[in-house]
This record gives sequence, C-alpha cells and structure tokens, in this order.
Amino acid sequence: MAVLEARGLSKTYVARGRTTRALDRVDLDIAQGQLFAFLGRNGAGKTTFIKIASTLLLPTAGEVRLFGRDVVRDPTGVRPLMALVPQEGKLFYHLTPREHIREYLRVRGVSAETTAARTAEILDAMGLVPYENTIALRLSGGLQQRTLVAMVLATEAPFLFLDEPTLGMDPFARRQVWAVIRRTVRRGSTVLLTTHYLDEAEQLSDELAVIEGGHVLFKGPSESLKSTVGREVRLQFSGGFTPEELAPYGKVFRDRERLTLLTSRSAASELTDRALGRGTQVSVGPVTLEEAFLELVGRGIEEDDAE
Amino acid sequence: MTARSQAYASLRICYFNGILPLGRSPLLIAAVFLTPFSFLFFLFVIAPHDLFPYGVTGGVLFTALFTGSGMLNDCAYLRLERQLQQVFVASPVRPLAYILGMALSELAFTIPAAVLFLALLLVVTPISAAGFAGLLGVFLLTWLMATTLGFFVSTMFSQLREIWPVGTLIFSTLAILPPIFYPATVIPADWQWVAFLAPSTYSSQLADHCAGLGGQIVTPIPFLNTYYFDVVMLIAVTIIFGAAALYLARWREP
Repeated sequence: MAVLEARGLSKTYVARGRTTRALDRVDLDIAQGQLFAFLGRNGAGKTTFIKIASTLLLPTAGEVRLFGRDVVRDPTGVRPLMALVPQEGKLFYHLTPREHIREYLRVRGVSAETTAARTAEILDAMGLVPYENTIALRLSGGLQQRTLVAMVLATEAPFLFLDEPTLGMDPFARRQVWAVIRRTVRRGSTVLLTTHYLDEAEQLSDELAVIEGGHVLFKGPSESLKSTVGREVRLQFSGGFTPEELAPYGKVFRDRERLTLLTSRSAASELTDRALGRGTQVSVGPVTLEEAFLELVGRGIEEDDAE
Repeated sequence: MTARSQAYASLRICYFNGILPLGRSPLLIAAVFLTPFSFLFFLFVIAPHDLFPYGVTGGVLFTALFTGSGMLNDCAYLRLERQLQQVFVASPVRPLAYILGMALSELAFTIPAAVLFLALLLVVTPISAAGFAGLLGVFLLTWLMATTLGFFVSTMFSQLREIWPVGTLIFSTLAILPPIFYPATVIPADWQWVAFLAPSTYSSQLADHCAGLGGQIVTPIPFLNTYYFDVVMLIAVTIIFGAAALYLARWREP
C-alpha cells in the first residue's frame, strides 16, 4: 500500500522575472515500510519534492498525499505523521546532543519516560555518548550532522524525510547512521532519503528513483537500474586506449588518465586480451550503481538538450 | 497534539531557546541592558533631570520592543541559516506554539533588564500598585506587538543580509525615534500627531501615565487626547500584528 502518492506534481519558481521549472508532472508512489532513495544531480528537483511533501513548500500544480491526506489542504493533519532532516540543517549552537534529542521529542509531545528511553538508546546507537553533554558549538561538523539525524530518527515518526542525512560524515559514522535508519524502518517507519552517495542508496534502499530536470527518469530497485544500462561489465583502463577506440564497444567515461567502459561480456573478453597484449593495466568488474546513474542521467541530459 | 500539548511545546521552546542559553551566556543580559542604559545615561547628562523618569519608563519599554528585534533576527537565523524552523514545521508543532515559544524565549532574555529598569523607576518616582500593574500590562502588550511583528517580517525574506537592515530600520523607528525616552510634549505642538504613526507611542503614553508622569500628546480631536485611545490603539495594533504573524507569515513557502 502506498503511503506517499504524488500525482502530476509540478513546481515552478519565479524569481526576478526568471522562471525555473524544478518539478514537471512527477508521479511517484512510496509503499509503507519502504526505504526509498531519491537520486539526482544538484538542482534536479529532489529537495523541492521533499519540501512539498513535508509541507514546507506549496506546489504549482498536482498533489501529494501522505497516508491518504493531502499535504496542501490538510497540513495540520499530516504533520504529526512526519519528521524531517533538512538539507544542510544545523543545530542550536548552545545545546548539547542530549538536549537536542530530548527537547525535540518533548516539543513533539512524546512522554517524559519514552523520551528518556529513546534519547539514551539513540545516543548510544549513533556513537554520540562521549559527546552527549558537549554543546554543539564545540562539535565537529560530522558530529553535528549525526546529532541532527539522531534528533529526527528518535521521533520514530511514521514517515521520515531525510535530505542528505549523512552529508559530511566519515565512512564509519555513515555506517552507524545506516544501521539506525534500517532499525527505524524495521520498527515501522517509512523513509524517503536523498543522497549523492550512490553506495548509500544501494546499501539502504528497497527502491529508488532518479530525477533529472524535474522528471523522474527511473523508478525501481537498484539492480533494475543497473540492468537498464544494457551492459553487464565494467572495464577500467589505465592508458593504452583512446576513447574513440573504445566507443564502438559501449559507453565510455573518462576520469583523468583512466577510461571506464561499460560493455558486454564478449567485448570485455576481446578487449582484455588486447589490453594484455599492449601491456596496459585493465580491471574488470560488474557495473556499479554510480555508473548506471551516470549513464541514465547522461542520457536524460542529452534528451533534454535535443528537445 | 492537544491545546495543552501545544502550550507545553511553547514552554519547552522557551526553555531551550531562552532560559538555557541565558544560563550559559549571562553576558546576554548585559547586552540587552546596555543599549537602553546608554540612552538613559545620555539623557541624564544632557537633559533636565525632571525628564529622567521618562527615560526610565523608556528603558522598560525599550526592553519590550527589543524582543521584537531579537525575534526577527532569531527566527530568520533559525529558518535561513540553521534550517531549524523547517524541523518544527514538519512536526505536530503548530505555528502559534512556535511563535509563542520563540516570543517567550525572547522575553526570558529581556526580563532581567526590564526588572532593573522597573526597580530604578520605583526609586525615581512613586508608583501606585494599580499603576505598576498597568505598567506590566503595557509591557506585555508591547512585547506581544513587537514579537509578532518580528516573526511576521522574518518570514518575508529569503536572505539574512536583507533582514539585518530591515530589522534595524523597523526597530529604530519603533524604539528610538518616537517619544519613548522623552515625553511627547517636547515635540513642537503642530507635529506631535506624527508620533501616533509609531505604535510604540501608545505604549509609551500609557507607560508614562501608569508611572504617574504626564506628557500626553495634544491634538484638536478630544478623543485622541485620552488614554482610552492609546489602550484601543495598542490592543488593535497587537491584534493586527498577531493576525499577520499567524495568517500572513510564511509558515510554508509559496
């Protein structure tokens, strides 16, 4: 059952006579208990979608329903069902992590006993216990972000909007946050997260959507996105080939001196032999989500340009 | 959340945004006290000493008006720089509870300075119990008027840099130019009515009256020369700013 349903959602910003279409007739369903990732380049429309769905912003057209309630017409009805980590949100500089979590839960009407239990639990799960009584001003950026995420996840609200929740965190902290997000979903919350870390989307999400220029280009599991590329193997060459030479075999990406080719198994076999013959270093692996994303979004950009 | 839970949310916001930081940075009290005290000191040095009590009631009112400036800057900062207002929008907390909580936290910052000015006022002029109660009422209405205006204006801008000059402009016009620290009677008679353009003039006239000081603006229209007019206008302006904060402020962006 879909708990978030967007139909024909559009948003156009007009500022100083300039019009920007951030969302263009977006349809999207997110099922109960899902961990749904929203992927896209900067300015693709992810945050605009989250802002509308979390009642921060009015759409130009279309509707979003959360648990069957219209977020535009009934914001008071849906707000108790949600919590939000805003993009690049920051803390109250004078409060400690413990105070942030405790006060936010109390303000939301959570009882004192539940607040105490949840605060202790999430401080521990997020690795914040050593810093629980340090004011935010003295915490690193990563610890501040962890506190903000902890404060919101501790609500265990039925629907959680997490806009780039692990921004600025080290790999260990990110994994700690992932574990708590997974646990929150197991307890019954539905999560919509945006991220630029493709590994995060792959590790966490049950389903994902790729958005570009306000249009949803893809929706489905990450494995399906990888299969849409139509190529099975990734070859990486450190010199020895030119992009023009590889182009007939598939999709070529250039990263400084390194060339990445997404291609079929038979072509991979042929090219590996040739690379070895030339004494060129070559590595072989499956297509990653990042490559599938780059391919898909690249195609989307080309289509937009053609229009 | 019930009305009681919303009221409790306001008190919690006041606690963590007003009382806790005050306890951790007591210098904030001095900062609130210093500006009106500087005006008072200036007045004491250059003006006849019989105007000094007007300066003290001005100090009391300035602290109430100062909450508006604090509200404007804090709310804009939390929304634009910290993205924290958004965390409260996407939650069961209603706009009224958030506004009241923020306004109470601003009040927490100014209460120590207001108490000092009230104590000083009791020293420089005798005030009846009824007059003192009236003065507290005027202080609270002025606080409500200033904070609701501050919140409303804070939501109208998308850049902090735009807010700072607007805040200075509004609260200088409300707290420094009108007859707050001086009686309206020192303004040339033909121009006294201009002071009515600033809503803080009504607060000031009432505060001076409650403190047993004169200095009422005189106009050719008798009703405008009564304190009933000041009461009606102060309440009306507070209701208008309150309604603007609740219904016109951008709790949700257009």
